[in-house]
Amino acid sequence: MKIFLCKILLVCTFIVVKDMNARPISYPGGWTLMQANDFSKHSFHLHYSPSIDYSIGYRAEYWREKEWQFHGLQLNYLIKRINRPKSQTNLYLRNGLGLATSNYKAFENKFEPSLFTGILFDWEDRRFFTSYQNQANYASSIDKFFSQRIRIGVAPYLAEYGYLHTWIMLQADHMPGNRKNLTFTPMLRVFKGDYLAEFGLNNYKDFMFNFIKRF
Amino acid sequence: MKKIIIYLFILQFVLFNSGKILSEEKYNGEILYVYVNGLVCDFCARSIEKIFSKQQSVEGIKVNLKNMLITINLKENQKLSYEKITEMIKDSGYEIREIKNVK
Repeated sequence: MKIFLCKILLVCTFIVVKDMNARPISYPGGWTLMQANDFSKHSFHLHYSPSIDYSIGYRAEYWREKEWQFHGLQLNYLIKRINRPKSQTNLYLRNGLGLATSNYKAFENKFEPSLFTGILFDWEDRRFFTSYQNQANYASSIDKFFSQRIRIGVAPYLAEYGYLHTWIMLQADHMPGNRKNLTFTPMLRVFKGDYLAEFGLNNYKDFMFNFIKRF
Repeated sequence: MKKIIIYLFILQFVLFNSGKILSEEKYNGEILYVYVNGLVCDFCARSIEKIFSKQQSVEGIKVNLKNMLITINLKENQKLSYEKITEMIKDSGYEIREIKNVK
């Protein structure tokens, strides 16, 4: 599965090389590819934004602990954006609907409907960043859980447009029910042009890598 | 290990891909200064470049994060209404504070 996701990522990167963003919604007519890997899951999300208010796209996830996959549609909706002279605040709603599948233990090629919902809040200025997100997942017999994440970040230097930007961040994940129910991940976010990458290592020594490309 | 190699390969794009930035060339067309609110992130501000580059009347743009300023260079004898600029800035995810026609 991991190799499969990596292949999808690479193929998409090379086929659609043109133009990228960290928001779950891009500009009208824009495509965004998001790929994330951490201690809990691998995910792939490719979305299209018909307007500045929402985006829709395909989402695939592989949950590592209980070895199940999600494939479905994800809808991201901008509830509120506040633009200030020196900061921006966003509140998004994220919903997904699709199929969960698993071969884990008693599940032999089990397929069942699955959905998730959650909010994402972020605030940033040029020097500081903070975000909070939560998500409730439901697949009746395969898995159901609630998770939440907080991030705080600081930019060690202020780069101008077009240059390499770097953020030092700390991420805390709370996943009640998971073996690693509270993790802390010091991480580095870098972006330049239409490409963004994040690297981190949590307190269980699990490697984290996220990648975003905006087209 | 294989995974790390793939990621490092991808990272090269992060480090070596540069955005198209307006150079200090001389333009014969109009120049507009657009001051916007919320312009704090380079990665998000890419949308401005993408939206404005679709306009035939636009020769190029320059984004200044420090001053939250977008400089729009129009092609010679071309116009772009304030209403259209306001709409495009809104589509980029920002709000206009002020527009100045400087040339």
